[in-house]
Formats: sequence, C-alpha cells, structure tokens
Amino acid sequence: MPASPRAEAAARARRFWPWLLLAPGLLWLLGLYLLPLLGLVPLSLSEPLSRFGLETVFRGRLATYLEVLQAYGPILWRSFGYAASATAIGLLLAYPLAFAIRFRGGRWQPLLIGLVVLPSLTSYLVRAIAWTSLLGDNGPVLALLQSLDLTAAFNGLGLLRDGRLLNTPTAVILGLLTNQLPFLVLPLVLAMERIQPCLLEAAADLHAGAWRRFTQVVWPLSRPGLAAGILLGLIPAAGDVVNPLFLGGPNERMVANTIDNLLLVQLQAPRAAALTLVLMALVTLAVLVQLRGRGLDGLPLP
Amino acid sequence: MPAQLPLLSSQCGRRLFLQRLAATAAGAVLAPTLLQACKGSGSGNGSGSGELVISTFPLYIDPDAPGAPGSVSRFRRDTGIQLRYLEDINDTRQFFARIRPQLAAGRPLVQDLMVLPSWMAQRLIGLGWLEPLPLAQVPNIRNLVPYLANPPWDPQQRYSLPWQSGIAGIAYNIKATGRELASIDDLFDPALRGRVSALLEMRDTMGLLMLADGQDISQPTWAAAQPSFARLEQARKDGQIRRFTGNDYQNDLLAGNLAACIGWSGDVAQLVLEQPDLRFVVPESGGVLWSDVMLMPKGAQHRREAAAWMNWVYEPVEAARIAAAVQYISPVVGVRQQLAKDPATAALAANELMFPDGAMQQRLHSFGPLSESEEARWEERFASITEG
Repeated sequence: MPASPRAEAAARARRFWPWLLLAPGLLWLLGLYLLPLLGLVPLSLSEPLSRFGLETVFRGRLATYLEVLQAYGPILWRSFGYAASATAIGLLLAYPLAFAIRFRGGRWQPLLIGLVVLPSLTSYLVRAIAWTSLLGDNGPVLALLQSLDLTAAFNGLGLLRDGRLLNTPTAVILGLLTNQLPFLVLPLVLAMERIQPCLLEAAADLHAGAWRRFTQVVWPLSRPGLAAGILLGLIPAAGDVVNPLFLGGPNERMVANTIDNLLLVQLQAPRAAALTLVLMALVTLAVLVQLRGRGLDGLPLP
Repeated sequence: MPAQLPLLSSQCGRRLFLQRLAATAAGAVLAPTLLQACKGSGSGNGSGSGELVISTFPLYIDPDAPGAPGSVSRFRRDTGIQLRYLEDINDTRQFFARIRPQLAAGRPLVQDLMVLPSWMAQRLIGLGWLEPLPLAQVPNIRNLVPYLANPPWDPQQRYSLPWQSGIAGIAYNIKATGRELASIDDLFDPALRGRVSALLEMRDTMGLLMLADGQDISQPTWAAAQPSFARLEQARKDGQIRRFTGNDYQNDLLAGNLAACIGWSGDVAQLVLEQPDLRFVVPESGGVLWSDVMLMPKGAQHRREAAAWMNWVYEPVEAARIAAAVQYISPVVGVRQQLAKDPATAALAANELMFPDGAMQQRLHSFGPLSESEEARWEERFASITEG
C-alpha cells in the first residue's frame, strides 16, 4: 500500500531530525577537535625546514616517536602515576561523601552537592595559585603540621620533602585531587540515587553489617558511577598543565608541560605533535579499558 | 620641565605583589590564548588606528601613583599620542613563539615596538624580521651611553636602541640563609636544599655557573659549558633547586619560599622596599650583564609615534624617572646627575648596581653569541634540566 504523501513526509522528517539535532555538536567535534588532531599526524612525521621558519617537510619520520618515548617516557609514566594517585585518594574521599549526601543528606542534599561543586566555580588557575599560598613554606598547612610535631613523620613518609610541601609531588597530587573531586563525587551520587534505600534495609534485616552492606550492595550498584568518575577525573588530570607548573618543581613536571615547552620554547613542533598523539593514544586506551564495550549508557554521567 | 622626581614609596607594595602574581599567571598559562588574539588582531589591524603599541616586560617602567602619573600617562598627555603599553612578556622564548607565526609569514604584528633581550634582538635581526628604527627622528639618541652604542650584533645601531641593562646575580633573604652569600657555590650549599631557584633565562643561569667554573662567557663553547650543565642537572635531581623561574621568582622570595636564588639586580632593589631582609650580590666569580633593547617588528606602521616615544624616554629627566622606579642600569647619559639633584633619589646615584664603577664593571660579563645550531643544542640540553 503506497504511503500517503503526508506520512512519507513525516517519516522523512523523523529520519532528518536527529541528524539536525546532532549536527552542531558533530560539526564542532569535527572542525575543532578531530581535524586539528588528525593534522598532528603528518606534522609529527615531518621535519622543520629551518629552526625558526614555519615550513615543515613530510619525511615519514617515525624515529621522532621513538625519540619522544625515550626522552619523555618517564614523564608520561609520572603523569599517569600522579593522576592515578589523585584519583585513588579522591575516590577514598568521594565514596563516603557521596554515600552521606545520598543516604544521610535529606533535605540538605542540594546544598551539599552545591558545596561539592562550589570550588569549581573558581578558575582552576586561581585555585592553583591559592594553593601556593596555603602550601608555602610559611603557609598555614605547614604551620599546622609543625605545631602538631608531624613534620618529621611526614618527611619520613615522603609526603614532605626537606620539610616543605610546595613544589613536591604531594602538592601536585593535592592540586589534581581538588580539581577532580567534584567529578568523582557527582557521578557517584547519581549512581547511588539509583540504589533504593529499601535494598540497604533488606540487607540490614538479613543481618548484614555496615561493611557487608557496602561491599555487597552499595559497591556493585555504584560501580557505573565509579567508572564515570574515573573517566572524568583521571583523564583531565593526566593532561594537567597548571598544577605541576605552580605546585610542582622541575622534578614534578607532567607531560602537558613538556608538550608546552617543546612547542613554545624549544620550537620543536613535530616532537610536540608526536608526544601529543602518544598522550591521546594512551588516554583513548584508558577510556576503552574503562568502557570495555559497555558503552556510555551504563554510566551515570552528570 | 620640573626636576622633581616621584618619591619611591613602599605604599604600593601589596599592589605590586598582586600585579606580579597576575603577570605570572597570565604569562604562564595564557600564552596560547594570546597567540590566537595576536593572530586575529595582527592581520587586520595594520594601519589606520593611529595607536602606538609597545610590548614589554611587566614592572619595567614607573607606574601611575596617586598624584604622580607614570611615564606612560605623561607621554600620552605631553605628546597627544595614543599609546597602548602592554606588559605581556614574561618569558622571552614564549613571546618569540607568539610572534613567530606572523613574522615568518610576512604579516605585521600589532606591536610597533618590543622590548627584548639583546640575544633575541640578534636572532630577529638575523631572520630579517625587524624594521630599521627611525633614529633620524630621535635627536636624543645623542644621550645613549657610549659603551652600549653599536653592539657587535647591530654594528651601526640600525635596529635596536637599549631600554635598560641589568645584572644577573644572587638574590637572598638574609634571615632565611642566616648568613651573607658571596659565591655561586653558596647556592649549592646543602643547608639551603629545596630553597633555591635558578632562572629560565639560559644565558643568565648558565653564564653565572660558567663564570663560577672559571670559563670565559664572552665566547661560550659547548665543551666549556658541560661541567656547568652537569652541576645544574645534579642540583635539580637532588632537589637542591626547587624551581626554574621567569619573573615569578619574586613571588617566592617575598612569600619566603626561597632563601636564595638567581635574580636580577633591579627586581631585588624594588623588592627590598617590601621585604627589607632581601639582598642582592654580584658573585665573587662575576655577574652576567644583560641588556634589553627596543626593536621594531617588520611591517610596523607607527614609525613617527615610535620615534617620539624613543626620543621621550631618552630625555634625561624622563629616563631618570624610569630609572628611579625600576633601578636598572639606564642607557641614558645624565640620569645619574638628575638622580643626584633630588634628595629623594640621591642615594640611587651612588648605587653601584645602577651605575657600575670601574671595579664593578670588571666583574660583569656579557654572554657571547651562540650560532643557530649551537643555540638549539644548548636550549635542548637546558630544557632537559629545567623541564625534568
């Protein structure tokens, strides 16, 4: 039976609409993300014609990648190490926080969520600079540690270096942690929103203690939130520029600082491009491992 | 022309500190953003606006103070020329990276004048990216001190005119070190571990270390630099050197995070107003004498206005006002007399860091030229140390 022209038009429109809605986002991604990123591929395989000129000549030079990995492998390793440490500590803080907001927050819940997000309303640059005052040699944090006589112990644990906090790995990880905490807490809260309190009550009725209620009910049901949190927290942290710059020293540089330096100071665009692509590849790998074919639907992304 | 110079007061100490922080932050993080901005305005805005644009380092001129307008304001008022004075250079090499795409493509910048170190001037001259300065319209060039005239890299003084010179040496906080410092070796004292910084300006840091090794930095060679590179690298790995900095070492000095560092003479002179425990010393083995110069990028439109500016700042009275504020070595003859005339600034006229006498001059050395290929090798090695 031939469809009426009206139904046909409606069907066309139905097919057409999703694309129209997708178009701005897709064009944005294509023009401002994918194309520039792909443009780095030939650049990374090129050599500059002169030291200060803009022209590069394509040589298919894969050796650049080898050199970059050799020279900056430790920095890449360090970057993911710092990011992973910050995420791990962040999760230790985020789980109880999210749990409390979800199950004990009551009518204060919106306010508590607001408080978690509040620091993000300040520019991350301003926050990093503020940290330099707090963590400085004459700052309040060290003064507190000193008054509690904890300096030697913290030094022994490697948290302080020569009795100072600023320009140490601890400070960088703290900075990264501050940046990503909201991104860890919010997905966890959302994931826990889906856990019915009656499940916890049922577990309690079955004589499950607090720990078993957590490990057997909350943990498995909140894992999608965990995955989303890691995705949103770990990846930006691995590519952070500001925290290592202000809170770290030369021994705490991260890979984005190196890319910045290669491009803007040493004027070695092909090497910078190669390192960027290596970083992107590693990040993509991390995302794939995270998602493991599950897709995004399971993730309570905020 | 009133000879009364603005008094140097410490009332604006806090403001200066915040300005420094802001400048640091902007320089460190916003460079890529500015790159875009540079591109956008540079290509379209070649002519017509009638506005003189100058890019320079922060805190490099006398600022406006209540009741005492700074040089920029007075120049605008006296000449009627619109001047956009941008303190947007934090790190020379990053600034170069910003202007390079435009200049390499043969397009003009928004800037009509830039204040950059002489080594960068040499590079830009070599690349052919500069206009000759309109010095025929700068009669006050007769006030240029003879020893800075016609440098080897600009033998006929066609492209560059000195802005200020200064000394790289040791800055320290006497309370934090507990003793006077006198040599580069003192920076490597284990007692100061983690409370020392060095400059990202390679020629200053390497120059001082090489002088301490007894090397001749007027003709620097790769081989002669190796011990200094090794020493610096070891100190970085050991945690002796806490940071490598641009202008931002000033914040750390004031905040008490640094006991000692490699710094610049005029900066420390200004910082002392806020933190009286700070000292600056030219190391026993010698200090590095550097010079920043005014340059005109290729295609600059406002030659007449730029000439007016250069002529104005080479007027001894104006130059003395700038010198009194920044406390670097002024390239203008007669500044010392101007400063001596005013009781408020008479002490500065006797300051050997601003007016090096014969003995001091003997201890100051300029870092010699590096060929293009040598420089690339040096910078890569230096970056491997400073960037971990």
